[in-house]
Parts: sequence; C-alpha cells; structure tokens
Amino acid sequence: MQLVHSFQSEWLKKKRSAASWLVLIGGLLIPLILMIAQFAKPEAAQAENASGHGWEILLHRSWQFMGIFLLPLGVIMATGLVTQLEFRNNAWKHVLTLPQKLSTVFVAKLALILVMLLQCILLFNIGIYLAGALPALLLSEVPYPPEPFPIALFLERSALFFLDCLPIVALQYLLGLQFRNFLVPFGAGIVLFVASMIAINWEYGYTVPYTYCPLNVIGSNEGMSAPIHWWAAGYAAVFFIAAYVLFITRKEKS
Amino acid sequence: MLCLETKNLTHHFSSGEPVLRAISLQVAEGSIYGFLGPNGAGKTTTLRLVLGLLARQQGEIGIFGKPFHSHRVDILRKVGSLIESPSFYAQLTAKENLAVMQRLYRCPEANIPRALQLVGLGNTGKKKAGRFSLGMKQRLGIAMALLNDPSLLILDEPTNGLDPAGMVEMRELLKTLNREHGVTILVSSHLLVEVEKLATHVGIISKGALVFQGTLQELMDRRSSLVAFDTDDPAKALRIAEQQQLPACLENGRLIISPAPKETVVALNRRLVQENVGVYEISGMKNDLETIFMNLTSE
Repeated sequence: MQLVHSFQSEWLKKKRSAASWLVLIGGLLIPLILMIAQFAKPEAAQAENASGHGWEILLHRSWQFMGIFLLPLGVIMATGLVTQLEFRNNAWKHVLTLPQKLSTVFVAKLALILVMLLQCILLFNIGIYLAGALPALLLSEVPYPPEPFPIALFLERSALFFLDCLPIVALQYLLGLQFRNFLVPFGAGIVLFVASMIAINWEYGYTVPYTYCPLNVIGSNEGMSAPIHWWAAGYAAVFFIAAYVLFITRKEKS
Repeated sequence: MLCLETKNLTHHFSSGEPVLRAISLQVAEGSIYGFLGPNGAGKTTTLRLVLGLLARQQGEIGIFGKPFHSHRVDILRKVGSLIESPSFYAQLTAKENLAVMQRLYRCPEANIPRALQLVGLGNTGKKKAGRFSLGMKQRLGIAMALLNDPSLLILDEPTNGLDPAGMVEMRELLKTLNREHGVTILVSSHLLVEVEKLATHVGIISKGALVFQGTLQELMDRRSSLVAFDTDDPAKALRIAEQQQLPACLENGRLIISPAPKETVVALNRRLVQENVGVYEISGMKNDLETIFMNLTSE
C-alpha cells in the first residue's frame, strides 16, 4: 500500500516536467513523420497498403527508426530527467525525511520510469495506427490495409523492445541516483550509446548492454542467433540490483 | 519527558576531523528548543543525523522514546522538517507541492489549504513555486513541514530569507503551534536574538561540541554580576586590582572586576583610596546574553 502512495506521489511530481513532455514527443514523433511522408507521397502508401502487408511494413519501418536511435536516447534522457527532478529541486533531503522506506523510494521512482516507458510505447503504437489509418481515411487514392490489424505482432514487438531497453533504464537509473550533475549520467549514456552503435557490427556486440534495441531491429531484418533478450534481462537484473544496493547503502543520503 | 534525545552523537566526514563530538541533545516534550551556534558549528549536521539524512556513525538517536534507526518510518510520520533551504518542485504550484506529500502522509486533503493559509500562501493559485519570492519559498517549506500536523517540528534556520515582518510572523506562528497545538519545536539558528525571543530551552553548539544545554532561564542566570569602578585614574586602578590578584579589565574608562564577594569590593575600594585614586562611583552590571554566547563559543 505504501508503494502505491509513493508511486502516486512520484506521478504527481512529474506533472509539467521535461520528462513528461519527452514521453509525449518521443512516442509520437516517428509516427507523425511517417504520416506526413504518407501524405506527401500517397502513391507509396497506396502500393504498400494494397500489398496485404501494409500494417507489417509500417510497424517494421516505425520500429526501425525508433529502436535504433530514438528509443535508447529517449530512455537515457527521460531516466536522467526523472532522477534530476530531486537533485535540481534540492528535494532529496525532503523525499528521504518523508515516512517511506528507502526501498519504497527506490521502487516507486523506478516504477515511474517504467510506466513512462510503457506510456511512450503505447503512444508510439497508437501513433503507428493513426499513421496507417488516417491517410487511408483522408486520401481517396490510399486504400485502408485490407488485412486484419496485427495486434499480436504489435504487442510482441513492443514487449521485446521494452525488455531490450531495460539495461539502459537500469544503468541510467543507477547513475542518475548517484550523481547530482546531470552531465555525468547523460554523458555516460551517450558514450555507451555511441559504443553500442559501433559494437553492433562486432561479432560479440550483444555483450554491450546498450546494443539490444538496435540489435532487435537488425535481428528482425537479418535473423539474429544470439539470445539478445536474455542478455538484456540479465544485464538489467544486475544493474537494478547494483543500483539498489548503492542507493540503500549511501552514507550521505542527500 | 523527552521528545528527542541523542546520546554521544559523534560524526566524522571523510577528512577525518570530527565535526560532531558526543552531542547529547535533550529536547523536552512541549518545548521550543533553540539550537544555537555560529555558522559551521555543526547544527545542520546534527539535524541531518537526527532525520536520518546522514548515516549514523557513533551514538544513539531516539525520538518519541523509540530508537530512530529501527522506527524510522513511524517516527517520520509524526515529524515535520525543514533543513537548510526549502525543497519543492519548481514546476508545480504550492497546492500541488503539498499534494505530493499528502499522498505519503496519508493525511486529509483539507490539511493542504489549511497549511497554506497558516503561512499566508492561501491565495497563490496557479503560480508555480519556482516563481515565488525567497520569503514565499521559505513559507512553502514551512507549510510542507506542517502538513501532517507533526508532533515534532525540526527547522533549520527557518527565518532565512524572510524580511523582519516575516520573521516576526514566523516566530508568532511557531509560538502558536507550540502553545495551542502542543507541537515540540527544535529550531536551529545562528541568531541569538531570534532564539531568545522564541525558545523555552537552549542548546549551544560550538566547534562540534555542545557547550550549554538548559532552559532559557538557566542561560539567563549565567549572566554574571560584574562590578564597575569609575575612578580618576583607571590605569593605576587596574594596576592595583591586578596586584590584588583580581580578574580585572578596563572598559569605557572604567575598571571592571569579575564577580567577587562584597568584602573584596570593599577592600579594593579602600586600597584605591589609600593609593590616592579618586573613586566616583561603584556600580553593578550584568553580562548580556551575547557576551555569554561569545564566551561559550570562543572557549
């Protein structure tokens, strides 16, 4: 019950924060661009929708842009912004003198980040649907995709990308809780992201914890033999535990 | 009965030098305890330890008769605090800031407008807290500390940033809370005048050590009686007093001697007259609180 109240409190804090705007923009940007492209070149949309794989093509294209670039960077920024909410407002000392266990503080804040990530992915999926449906509804030459909407495929891809993001969330959360200066977690995140972009062509690239989103995209293109989702889950577990231990045992709490 | 008690609280930062040395605070229930000390004496460190913001190294902390480390959440439910500058979320309104805490304290929503009204922020509407003046921010910090109807209020320099009128209002508010609602208040300050006007009990900390603890009256009673001799030759009078082995000094052209029995005063006067020093007046004078404070903190 305490966790529910702590989560509600965290949810209220993010109102009008940069992190909440980031979720909205991050979730809708790619579908919006793709929708504009469909309106600009209706003949391409016409061909794709008539192919019988319109939804699949749109889904794949959307995740390609989102998974390689926007999602990892968005997670790096949003996680940093959520933890910065306390540092920037000098509020850790206040949070830690409220009647809640330290573990509850840790879990509630983490839950907020994960819910925001789910929110972003949900918006992204709604955006993809609108990017497919609106041109068909508004342009007479673009047909509505005739095949049934592949909801299972949408859910599966979303779930896997969510899982592949978790190592980034976990490590960024760890860094965000430890460092007052926003540049430290953000800088480390960018360095690791760049390293992962270099590593995706490496045979053992799957050992680099920030590679799983781009590898997921590549994997769905070319077929991936390495069990990247298990690696992602493993790294996430290790980083979450490390973040928790460091947070709980910190000598100076604020 | 004690509301808050620390026993031999000692703390070192990584540099090694202890910043607190065996601090044993005793804050009586229903009191306003003025925790006084110069800047850097260790007031904030003590309060941060008491609230669990610093990991305890040596010593014990008890609040409401329970050890803090094993009853942290239960204790904090009944404590309101403001440590250093107020903490709030700049993008939220005053009401929204209090709503963030109301969820955690699980107190009635009606406490929010009441706390804001109490500190004079009832009409801030949709104005974001980040746009508040320094004084308004400080008031918001106090409102946050009062939201849960605390039994113990721990305030670190709460009048910082307030104008003189705001300081008077704050003092009256704290007195009212103490008198009418029975809230025990531990308030730190480096301003002796503030503490003198507010506190019922005083603890004075200097260089990490508690150099005085007691009621304000006990502190007042420390004001020692001095004797002043107004003479026509102060330098000679001082020499004579020193020959008599009396602790003496000159102040505004007068010879001042520390508390002494009446016989000593009579004997010194007789000696001065014998040595042809003209004595115009012998009068008693009291140390002011500031002098006591300076003496205690410079020892």
